[in-house]
Amino acid sequence: MLKLLSSFSRCSISKTFSNKLHTSNQLNFQYTPVLFAEPLKKKRKMDPAVIKAREDRRRKKLEKQIRRLEKNSRQLKPIDDLETPLTLIDQKEQRARKLPAISEKEQEYRALLLKKWSKYRNEENLKDLKILDRMVSAQTKALDELRFESEELYQQAIQHDIELIPIHINGPMASPKIENYSFVDGDYIDTTKVYEGEVVEPKK
Amino acid sequence: MLRKILLNSSKTFAYATRSYSTAAQLKTKEKYDLYAGVLIERLPIITKKLNELETEVLEMLKKIEFENSLKSDHELRKEKDIRQAELIKSGKLDKDSETEAVSLQTAQDFEDASNEELAKFLTAPRITEDDKKNNLKSLNRKLDDALMLLVDEKIGNDSRLLLPQGKWLEGETLRQTAERIVREKFGTDLKVQFYGSAPVGFYKFKYTSSQNESVGGKVFFFRAIYKSGNIPDSKLKYEWLSGEELKGKVRDSYYKSVESFCTF
Repeated sequence: MLKLLSSFSRCSISKTFSNKLHTSNQLNFQYTPVLFAEPLKKKRKMDPAVIKAREDRRRKKLEKQIRRLEKNSRQLKPIDDLETPLTLIDQKEQRARKLPAISEKEQEYRALLLKKWSKYRNEENLKDLKILDRMVSAQTKALDELRFESEELYQQAIQHDIELIPIHINGPMASPKIENYSFVDGDYIDTTKVYEGEVVEPKK
Repeated sequence: MLRKILLNSSKTFAYATRSYSTAAQLKTKEKYDLYAGVLIERLPIITKKLNELETEVLEMLKKIEFENSLKSDHELRKEKDIRQAELIKSGKLDKDSETEAVSLQTAQDFEDASNEELAKFLTAPRITEDDKKNNLKSLNRKLDDALMLLVDEKIGNDSRLLLPQGKWLEGETLRQTAERIVREKFGTDLKVQFYGSAPVGFYKFKYTSSQNESVGGKVFFFRAIYKSGNIPDSKLKYEWLSGEELKGKVRDSYYKSVESFCTF
């Protein structure tokens, strides 16, 4: 509609007023620009008592939460290992070893040995990686070959093995076990200190 | 010129792919029997002995740790004892404290007693009786190495030492075949833990005299770990071998295939 108006305003009816001083076209139609918005709503006036009550309610809610948190927060149990006993600090001088300084020859030997060691470990790691690589490629080859023979068997082979979890393996020990070893039997006394307010889990 | 080369190369490539596909077609024509094999491993029980370099480094680290350490209560007590003994010798100490020192166990005494107790405790030997006898049927040997179970398998007319294997039967998965083989060959006492249902290795062989239409067999190996139990005394010929010992006892191609999925 507005577009229509604007176009009409251009095709003026100026010829009817040609006896005027102006030679330019006269605008007989006029329109206001489009705003694409509506005037703001009037702010609702609130009762100050209501606002205060609302604020109060919020504060109370927060206070209640803080109280609940404080009630539930347990006291921290001290960790003895993290604190150096005072006697040890006092005896530090006494406990220091007065050893002769390491000779230059010894220092050189240690540095060389460490270099040798890092090289050796690197080689060992490479060997391990090679073994892993070899095993993975062996399995890939086996699976490829299986798929070539039978898709069904292949699909069965790549299923998860649920029985495998959890798996328990006893690692290699420093020495083999002694047959018929009679160990000293005794009572088990738990000497762990129980702190005030500490919740002790019942023993299984 | 360049385009010509490119064209030629693409032509040769096409040839190559074609020859591949014909090979695959040929492959499908040959029929193979499917076998499942089981690698039953006894994991090492004790750690390997440290080699020269490792011991040397260990010694050095121990030395450094000692240098960085502070004296222990025991060491302080020992020093105090020595000081006291010197004082008694020079006659600077009272008789009362002298008797006290005598009645108490000195730090040196305590150390000696502890050392004596430690010396009494003997760890089991790393080399067992079966190691000395070279009893290949025993599990109590080569404690620092992994052992694998090999059995005499009948191939045609002769028998050969191989990893336990058996033919796959219609309707079962290969994993089930492997489990069945362990049960049938070694009874129910031997408990093993299979590591997944996917094969870890593969070996192909051809029959020398074809009884049926299949030209050979394809063995898919599964890894299992020995857990407990014994193999019942029967006429079954079996051996627990380490990787090194395996080398001379099986064919080279078989050894190579087994080696590819083992840790040795």
